Amino acid sequence: MFGNSVTNMKDYKLGEFEEVILLLVGILGDDAYAYRITDEYKSQSGRGASIGTVHSTLERLLEKGFVESRMGEPGAGRGGRRKRIYSLTADGEQVLRASRDFRVSLWNQLPGLSLDQLRFAW
Amino acid sequence: MPGSQQPPKLADRFLGLFLRGDFLEDVLGDLWESFDDNVSRLGLRRARWRYWYEVLRYLRPFALKKRKIRLNHALTMYTHFLKISWRNLRRHLGFSAIEIGGFAIGIAATLLIALYIQFQQSFDRHYEASDRIFRVVNRWSEEGGLGHWTNVHGPLKEVLEDNIPDMELVARAVIWPWGDAGENNFRPLEANYNDFQTGFMYADPELLEILEIPMIYGGRDALDQPNTIVISQSVAEQYYPGIDPVGRQVILNDRPTSTFTISGVMEDFASNHHLQADFVMTLVGRKSGPGTSGWCCSNYDLYTRLTPQADKVLVEQKTRELRNSLVVERMREVGATNLEAEQQYQSYYLQPVGNIYLNPEEVGDHLRHGSAELVWIFGIAAVLVLLLASVNFVNLGTARSMKRAQEVGVLKALGSHRRQLVAQYLVESVLYCTLAVALGTGLAWLMLPAFNQLGDLSLEMPWLSYGFLPSLMGGALILGLCAGAYPALYLSGFHAVDVLKGQGQRGSNAQWLRSVLVVFQFAATVVLIIAAMTLYRQFDYMMSKALGYEKEQVVNLSGLETLTPEKRLALKQGFLQHASVLEASLSDYLPVEGSAIENRSYWQEARRQLDNGMEAARWAVDEDYLATMKITMLQGRNFSRARNESQSIIINEQMVEALRLDEPLGQQLIDMFDQTYEVIGVMKDFHFESLFVDIRPLALVYGNGRSTISLKISADTDAALTDMQDTWDEFVPNQAMRYDFLDQRFARMYHQISTAKIIFVVFAALSIVVACLGLLALSVHMVAQRSKEMSIRKVLGASSRRIFMLLTSKFVRLVLLAVVIAIPIGWVFMDLLLEDMAHRIDLSWDLFLLAGVLALLVSLLTISYESVRAAMDNPANKLRSE
Repeated sequence: MFGNSVTNMKDYKLGEFEEVILLLVGILGDDAYAYRITDEYKSQSGRGASIGTVHSTLERLLEKGFVESRMGEPGAGRGGRRKRIYSLTADGEQVLRASRDFRVSLWNQLPGLSLDQLRFAW
Repeated sequence: MPGSQQPPKLADRFLGLFLRGDFLEDVLGDLWESFDDNVSRLGLRRARWRYWYEVLRYLRPFALKKRKIRLNHALTMYTHFLKISWRNLRRHLGFSAIEIGGFAIGIAATLLIALYIQFQQSFDRHYEASDRIFRVVNRWSEEGGLGHWTNVHGPLKEVLEDNIPDMELVARAVIWPWGDAGENNFRPLEANYNDFQTGFMYADPELLEILEIPMIYGGRDALDQPNTIVISQSVAEQYYPGIDPVGRQVILNDRPTSTFTISGVMEDFASNHHLQADFVMTLVGRKSGPGTSGWCCSNYDLYTRLTPQADKVLVEQKTRELRNSLVVERMREVGATNLEAEQQYQSYYLQPVGNIYLNPEEVGDHLRHGSAELVWIFGIAAVLVLLLASVNFVNLGTARSMKRAQEVGVLKALGSHRRQLVAQYLVESVLYCTLAVALGTGLAWLMLPAFNQLGDLSLEMPWLSYGFLPSLMGGALILGLCAGAYPALYLSGFHAVDVLKGQGQRGSNAQWLRSVLVVFQFAATVVLIIAAMTLYRQFDYMMSKALGYEKEQVVNLSGLETLTPEKRLALKQGFLQHASVLEASLSDYLPVEGSAIENRSYWQEARRQLDNGMEAARWAVDEDYLATMKITMLQGRNFSRARNESQSIIINEQMVEALRLDEPLGQQLIDMFDQTYEVIGVMKDFHFESLFVDIRPLALVYGNGRSTISLKISADTDAALTDMQDTWDEFVPNQAMRYDFLDQRFARMYHQISTAKIIFVVFAALSIVVACLGLLALSVHMVAQRSKEMSIRKVLGASSRRIFMLLTSKFVRLVLLAVVIAIPIGWVFMDLLLEDMAHRIDLSWDLFLLAGVLALLVSLLTISYESVRAAMDNPANKLRSE
């Protein structure tokens, strides 16, 4: 069941940072705009990132077709400006799944560390 | 949102310049939102910095405005500007070389001094607990004076530890020559040849912890046991290469009581550590000397680390209370007098460890110090030289661009915009500046070894350190823009028609400015020349001053600690066998820095309880000392071997005066240890300490030196040294002979002045070179401009002399004006510099005259180079060309 996805990995080139950002887009849902994502990334990973970096990654993901963007509502503290909201496309969801499956298959091959012990929740 | 809480407007505008239009709304929104959050998280100031950072991070391809064509266009234009600038540079190679070279010299000098200042500021910044580490020093604040010095009573350590819980750790240290601190003849117990080693000190075990000394072998508790010693890594490598020496034994001066067990190896002290030592001996469990003295004497440096929550002011307050109760009581018990004054004026002060090196409090101690003042003086000198060089750069740049007025006219006629012209000249200026900075950096790198040697430093170019290269490049850019701004704006303002008609605005504005710049340059140069000459004279004065003793042809041999007293006397007799050795005297006390020191308080015996004690230096010397040093006796007699001299004392005139003795001979004196003496002689005052201070009272008592013998030798120094070596090898075969000439040690006391002297000479030379280069280029330029005029004058009958005068008189007048301005400034400045010296030269007019004449002569020579040629030229050459 895993084999299939693994062979297709090449079709979805996804860097580690891209993957994380993509995940955050999914997690944040309607709140997924560049600043909010940056903030979330910083607080969850403990690492620093500038809004510009995240934004450029989002635009790259957009080009690859993993996310789409639309203009949302103006929020507080923005001087009345609207947000650019990103959301996952079907391709985006699939590439995330493929990436997860690839890792899981690798984890399963690691002796003494099978997934049962790791208790992945799904 | 209140106005002050808004993101920087400039950043927003900057963002608008490059950001893709369709992104502008949401990006600005995001940034504002993040700024809003950051203000509450980080505070306004940092939020604003952060905002700029975020804006700059949007400088990436995806977010830029799509305007490929315009970018390409600009690029072509700037390449073109660069090309033109480069061609211009090559066409006027000589002129450009002067301009760039002069600037590079200034930059190199500034860079070196910046490195020096940075090093001076870097002392003792490396401690983890740097804000909690202090040195406890005495403060004496009396009306009209505030003084600090280090030495405190030994038992104070325990008093502080027991009564002030905020003092986490307290440690004493002995850094001055007492016991075995200082220099020794050293060998591992199993070896038999003694090596001379320096850098011995004593310390309590806690010192390793307080000063966070990194240990290679052993721990920071290494000094806990009696008779332990911690050695530095370099010493360990010298004697125990590649092995752990902990547990090995070493011996000092062949003295069995000075046997120590190595208990640890520490990393060498960093060069920017206030303390420098290679051997740290413990103060724990000692039988005599360091570590055992009580409330009688203050002999220790005291370090402490406070607890993190301690308040320095409260701790100081507490030490004062302790002083008033416990300390005063103990001192009274040992018979100290004058305690009321002590209580009134003395207090303890916690000096932050970071202050110890530059020592703004001017604490009297036994460490080497940088001088905060010197850092300032150097800083000012560096800024001055850089300013001179920049002025020159602007000046020459303006002169250079004047030649190109026609170019501007043509460009404008062809439809050039003013903005483009400004850009062209700015690019050119930045190019010149970049070349100058590159050249200057290279020069600084080449001069660094010489600079290090001069200042006894070990600086390195921080090529790889964070921000060095970027700041150089940024500096070049900014300097270039600033220096280019004036000519760029000025030139581009020309009207095409005027210029092309030949009425180029040979503007009076520019000339006025250039005149001011020339005056400024030469004034600064003259001040520097005055400073250099003054320091030269001061140094010569000190070296040749009659000191009251003769320092010439006196050799001091040290390292006698390893001999028995009998053997020392035999050695002395051995030396005296040679005809080349005229006198010999055993004494550790010499009238130069680095020899033994002791001070005691004295009274007339009858007045012991009545007066405050009078402090005098106390030197133990033998009967040949006065003859060896050629010190004059005024009254009474010298010591004699034939008598018991244990209660005899010879005092100097200052001491006679301080004790108010009308008839000194035969007077009974008593010191703080209740030893009594009879005055047997009075000697003439001599400068037994630095010439920076006045002569103090000095008392000679009878005794033989432990470590040093001084020999007065005949004029044939080489023969004397050979003879001495023979005798030494005969008596002390297991140790190298170590000697110094007294006059050289004397000169070394003033190395700060001699260094300052050399530095000012270098600066004066630099600024002369820079100023003259500028003047040269200006005169070349002016002569070129007026060559036709001069040729016509000549044809009409003007003499060569007349033409020469015409060409030079303006510059000469400017230089004269500079001299007139510089002299009073130099006078005040030098007076300030010499103010603190007890023995200073008087500033006399001839010095200033000389400096002025020198500047005038050099500038005249410079101008003449081109003017003479112009004056002698055959007018036909110039006039024919049209």
